[in-house]
Amino acid sequence: MKRILVIDDAATVRLYHREILEQAGFAVIEAINGLEALEKLEMEGPFDLYLVDINMPKLDGYGFLKALREKDIPQAPAIMISTESSPRDREAALVAGANLYVVKPIRPEQLLPQVRGLLGEGHPS
Amino acid sequence: MALKKGQPTPPCHSPGERQEPRNLETLLQTLLDEDVMKRRWAARDLAEHPAAAEALVTRLRHEKDATVLQVIVTSLGCIANEVAICGLIDCLYSEHTLLRNAAIEVLKELPEPVAPHMGKLLHDPDPDVRIFAVNVLESLRHPQVEAWLLEVILKDEHINVCATAVDLLGEVGSPQSRDALRALKQRFPEEPYIQFAADLALKRIGAG
Repeated sequence: MKRILVIDDAATVRLYHREILEQAGFAVIEAINGLEALEKLEMEGPFDLYLVDINMPKLDGYGFLKALREKDIPQAPAIMISTESSPRDREAALVAGANLYVVKPIRPEQLLPQVRGLLGEGHPS
Repeated sequence: MALKKGQPTPPCHSPGERQEPRNLETLLQTLLDEDVMKRRWAARDLAEHPAAAEALVTRLRHEKDATVLQVIVTSLGCIANEVAICGLIDCLYSEHTLLRNAAIEVLKELPEPVAPHMGKLLHDPDPDVRIFAVNVLESLRHPQVEAWLLEVILKDEHINVCATAVDLLGEVGSPQSRDALRALKQRFPEEPYIQFAADLALKRIGAG
């Protein structure tokens, strides 16, 4: 089963993503900010995909992705999720190491094809 | 080894400790020093000088080092006068994510000085600023928090502002939020996240 690390400081958002992804057959691990995500990475090894919020305390999504991409581990795809929709935000996310930038609100029918596509289980929409 | 009488007393400063004077004028000069560590120390020590608020706010606009920025934000939070609060609120408009998040974390701890600004922030034309304002409410221990959140979910037209507010209402909402949560669901009937978050909030406050 593919493992996805969901990183978001909002508990409701993490639960929402968990329900969508688990119903689609993925295993979900949660982290409440970038720092905890790096700890989970150390403890539980690399994941198959990262779903990353931008604005989080302690270590934001950009900081997490930068640290992730500097690690000597198999590099899995990352989807950055944000409320901010400007081209500048999108570009910053891609520069930080995101494979995809998705603007909230997230809909299951939008998210799942993108996740499957990045995992090689289909084509990203 | 015991010290013998007559020997000079060794300096009591630990390695790396600063010897510079800590008066306002010197600290303000050091805040502009080329050495990052000196700027960081100055920023920290200026927390004890309310008169330094304006200089710290000005430095926020020019400082490149993330650690110094973080310390400046923390010092402004310690000063917490009107100049400092306005400077921290200005950070919510910044494109610098780290600065913005640091300011949000500090503002959350300052309910009394932040409260008078909250109405204006929650009506800012920029939805991102309204979202950051809701983020500030997350742990702002102020009696108005629930009322501010209810106003957002009843009136704000931007879905992501409402989504951020409903997340928080699930944690701090009381039974008086029920009608507003149900009304929110009706305003965004096609949005799965709003339906999910509002249902969860209603369940948590015992009105599911």
